[in-house]
Amino acid sequence: MTYRSGRLNVPALQNVNLTVNHGEFIAIMGPSGCGKSTLLHLLGGLLRPTHGKIFIDGIDISKLSDSERTAVRRDKIGYVFQRFNLLPTLTAKGNIELAKKIHGNGFLGSNGVDHILEILGLTGKIQFRPSELSGGEQQRVAIARAVVTRPSIVLADEPTGSLDSLNSGKVLEMLRELNDQLGQTIVMITHDSDAASTASRVIEMKDGQILRPSSRFALSHSLKDSAEKS
Amino acid sequence: MENLIAANIRSRPTRTFISVLAVALGVVIMLVVGGIVSGTLNDYLGRTVAVGADYILQPAGSSVLYAFSDASLNVKLAGTLRQVPGIEAVTPVLSKFSPAHFGLVFGIDMESYNKFPGRLQMLSGRASLKGDEAIVDQILAEAKKLKPGMTLNILDHDFTITGICKSGAVVRVFLPLETLQKLLGTTDRVTVLFAKASPNANTETVFQNVRRQFPHYSLLRASDPNLLLAETRLPGLKEFRITVIVISMLLSFMVILLAMYTTIFERTREIGILKSLGASRNFIVGMILKESVMICGLGAVMGICISEIVRKIVIVMFPTLQVSMTFRDLLSGLVLGLIAGTLGALYPAYKAARMDPVRALSYE
Repeated sequence: MTYRSGRLNVPALQNVNLTVNHGEFIAIMGPSGCGKSTLLHLLGGLLRPTHGKIFIDGIDISKLSDSERTAVRRDKIGYVFQRFNLLPTLTAKGNIELAKKIHGNGFLGSNGVDHILEILGLTGKIQFRPSELSGGEQQRVAIARAVVTRPSIVLADEPTGSLDSLNSGKVLEMLRELNDQLGQTIVMITHDSDAASTASRVIEMKDGQILRPSSRFALSHSLKDSAEKS
Repeated sequence: MENLIAANIRSRPTRTFISVLAVALGVVIMLVVGGIVSGTLNDYLGRTVAVGADYILQPAGSSVLYAFSDASLNVKLAGTLRQVPGIEAVTPVLSKFSPAHFGLVFGIDMESYNKFPGRLQMLSGRASLKGDEAIVDQILAEAKKLKPGMTLNILDHDFTITGICKSGAVVRVFLPLETLQKLLGTTDRVTVLFAKASPNANTETVFQNVRRQFPHYSLLRASDPNLLLAETRLPGLKEFRITVIVISMLLSFMVILLAMYTTIFERTREIGILKSLGASRNFIVGMILKESVMICGLGAVMGICISEIVRKIVIVMFPTLQVSMTFRDLLSGLVLGLIAGTLGALYPAYKAARMDPVRALSYE
């Protein structure tokens, strides 16, 4: 898959080939401008590749119209952003319910929603507005909003980028639990190697290309080596 | 989605209030201006009927709104009309618009005028109309605080008020026919002849008799329902009302257009979020339109309430004015306010739906 943007036609992504299996938790790492976010937008159907194909549950979304990609996004994709991106006028519950309404009430009944809220530790915060929640709590609401419709894949764009280490740890733990307990497929972009180590597979990117896939073990090992050398 | 719309409306109270107020203003202009025009006109036409005549004879091409009619009818025709079989009573009337109280005055021959059901029913003073005497009706007397014995200047001429009569018939000031004719230099001319059929006569037969006698004159049955349809009698009135409605709707349209256009730029990131959640274009268009409909609905209801208050104030402050607001008028105000607002929100809604989600999400 290749994606070019801008007047100079500089490729933002080039010959990217990536398969994400059901139930996987993948982290994509790389420096700023390496194309991580572009890759995530392409996977989410927000952008269309210049060349190549993207399959979500067997559907080639690269050939779909805007409205068809919107429908795929609604039915199969959940987004988590670095800056939470909750609607400020709605409560935590309102934000979660909005996702369900857009989806068409979602697959989950109120018990399922409650279960997700319990996993995310949000039971007592449901009537709070985003401005009344801490950063970590806001991100947990955003995660709840992303998974409440039980999407095929959750795309998390630097979910811990705006959080302190304590809240980052909690959010990563939540994502891990969602992956472990619900089998939720997650693709997470991160700068943070600690965050990446939460995932079961780490992909490294540079200059719009995937460098090499590495396992969690390999990454941990490499980090350990670096620490020892320094 | 309803929660989101209500939350958006609540979260921007100043914008919501100003938008609601502007829509309300448009509805008020539509209802009050239209109401005053049609109310006063219908009141006038109603009082024309209240004279109690069966037939109204005027020169050809005249209007039942006597302010637009000339004094070109020979008063001797009253005698001819009296001779028509089936006619019981005829009274000649000279009408003149008086800028002093912004209304018509009637020069009447009280003896023949009082043979009609709409005769002057005195509430105070005496029923005398000679020389420089005048009789005014109850509403004008209350509005101008007039009493018998006081002087009233009409057409740069001082008249002494002899009595106050019950209101109901066409004008609020009655003068002696001969005096008004002299003042206007139309000694043998009148504006209109009111005629009444004999009690046992067939009014249709009498109408045909009068028509045969006066083939080239304007002859109306006072019972003619079209007489009350102001729009059919006053040229330009319909156009005037349409103009007022269009201006009011434009006001609502532009306010909503501006408010919603500003809103979607404020909410660019939110629209990006909705798109990332999979909200379709229809969902976003629906959200913007529903929000504008709610604002316009509130504005229209507020406009109707304000119009009703204005109507009551106008009636108290200007008793000679009538403001007509029927249920149909109020419903029209509501519907037109909603239509204007919805149209105003269409372009912003379209812009919002077409936003690039990636750019919208990165909007600061």
